[in-house]
Amino acid sequence: MRPPMSQRLLALALVLPALLTILLFFVAPLGASVTGAFSLDGDFTLSNFGKSFELYSSDILFTLCIAGLSTGVIGALAVSIGGYLTLGENPLAVAVLRWLYRWPLFIPFIVVGQILRTFLARNGLMNNILIAGGLLTPLQTTSFLDWRGIVIAFVWKQTPFVALLVAGAMASVDRGTLEAARNLGASRLRILLEILLPQVYTTLAVGLILSFVTMMSVLSVPLMINAQSPTMLTADIAFRINAYGDYGVANALGLISLLMTAGAAAIYLRHAARERAR
Amino acid sequence: MSDPAFLQIRDLTVGYGGNRVLDALSLEVCEGEFVALLGASGCGKTTLLRTIAGFADPSEGEVVLAGSDITRRPPDRRGMALVFQSYALWPHMTVAQTIGYGLKLRRVAKPEIARRVAEMQALLGLEGLQERKPAQLSGGQRQRVALGRALAIEPQVLLLDEPLSNLDARVRLTLRHEIRALQSRLGITAVHVTHDREEAMVMADRIVLIDRGRIAQAGTPDRVYNHPASAFVAAFMGAENVLELRGTVTGQDVHLAAGAANAPAAVPVHGRNLTSGRFEARFRSEAAVLLPADAAPVDGALDLVGVVRTVSYPGGLWRHLVVIGDRDIHVDAAVAHPPGTPVTVRVPSSALFLFDAAPTASPPPSSP
Repeated sequence: MRPPMSQRLLALALVLPALLTILLFFVAPLGASVTGAFSLDGDFTLSNFGKSFELYSSDILFTLCIAGLSTGVIGALAVSIGGYLTLGENPLAVAVLRWLYRWPLFIPFIVVGQILRTFLARNGLMNNILIAGGLLTPLQTTSFLDWRGIVIAFVWKQTPFVALLVAGAMASVDRGTLEAARNLGASRLRILLEILLPQVYTTLAVGLILSFVTMMSVLSVPLMINAQSPTMLTADIAFRINAYGDYGVANALGLISLLMTAGAAAIYLRHAARERAR
Repeated sequence: MSDPAFLQIRDLTVGYGGNRVLDALSLEVCEGEFVALLGASGCGKTTLLRTIAGFADPSEGEVVLAGSDITRRPPDRRGMALVFQSYALWPHMTVAQTIGYGLKLRRVAKPEIARRVAEMQALLGLEGLQERKPAQLSGGQRQRVALGRALAIEPQVLLLDEPLSNLDARVRLTLRHEIRALQSRLGITAVHVTHDREEAMVMADRIVLIDRGRIAQAGTPDRVYNHPASAFVAAFMGAENVLELRGTVTGQDVHLAAGAANAPAAVPVHGRNLTSGRFEARFRSEAAVLLPADAAPVDGALDLVGVVRTVSYPGGLWRHLVVIGDRDIHVDAAVAHPPGTPVTVRVPSSALFLFDAAPTASPPPSSP
């Protein structure tokens, strides 16, 4: 039975504020940005994309590689941390790790960039420690303020977030399933990879995709750590707008990042759907 | 059962925090024997099983398997297989992968794994389900898969932690017999934890009754059922009717003094360690006989006088609630006696379990 007209109007009135907020502050700006990517002086054109690929194709590739590599390293570290928190048998080590690993969560990206800039520079703290420890001579030192610095910053900042999600999911796995494997003779590494990880795979994937999207949108880290070319798309977008007021190319680059993150989400959704169908 | 001490548990003490769960418990299990650990929740039976499996650390005592001390050996190197109450199946693995996992860990060749998995499936009635995942199986099938996973590695000892308690009644009855039949066919030593008396009775060669971290009694089902060693064991094994009697022990007989609701009687001691004075008497509702109030007394039985208060029919026999002095007892009979009927409840000496009454507030025992 259909509800009476007055009730349907009431329902519409109830969702209207939320709907308007989304339309006004999210859909409209996104739409303007998308159409802006396809227009030059009011005409429809693909020239913004042509220029983007001509000038920035190495940066697009660089961005994809940096975000992809960081995501991989974050995943490996988050699984290791979550695995140790779940399977570790030294209560003190588990307690210390549980207390320590979340700290970077509360530090903003710009501060991470700042900290690592002084840490990773050629005459920075890391190299000074290595020299003091006799592991390097001053001549052998190199600066890590390039792509490696960005990856280190992203991993440092995002691992706790994914580890938090993964550790939570791991803690809610039936311990009997872990004990059953142990009982049959499985080592802890095998239990982590073959029993625990498959049961938290969805959570890990969600955490990694959210991290991937976050990293794609960080401007401060590439600006502070990697002030050279190639760099990440966020730096290029800021440069197009600040230096040239070129919103067309900036919008096109934005749309390209959006397609990259959407691609990551699509891969995950397809995989999840296949898992469910099995 | 050639080796009398295949699995030995010696003075095992296990505690969590300040709470002592097992208290210097010792137990020996013969090779090929099926032992049921029976007790109420929290008595320590699951802790004992987990300690044998290596998942709980004893503070004292040792676990010895086939002559070697395995007390500190990690759970993955004990040659034991544990079947969990929650099944603990892996949601991402198929039936075949699950049953074959232990063999894969042992680096058994793939064709051999496939052969053994098929064999297990046939043994457990899981044919055709090899590609299913746990979510696509019924409760009984899940527990069979868990059993197959445990049996596939041909463990020296099979440990069963209330494996049937999550199943519905009919499946439980079938699986009881299946597990027992499999165990005797494969000749595996099995330790089975349960709180279900009947399950322990029908499955086990020997029942070990555990009470507050200690063994209350260990013996064959028949022995534990008919010769309970303590009031606790009698109560747990279903002798719920309880009375307090006084009497004196002379030679091979116990002379029960007449009380407000009972005639004097003489019953054999049956090798029990009794001291004259107050006794706690226990018997099962189906072991007593309901007779007319004026029934003539006989030798070797205790007669109690009382009045029927209620009668109900749970099936098979009529269940009477009879008031005996200040106590209510249950008595089953083939014919119903209406409420208000004065009756004699006759308890044969073989069904009457006598124990020294608990020493709390006990008056000095009268000398014989």
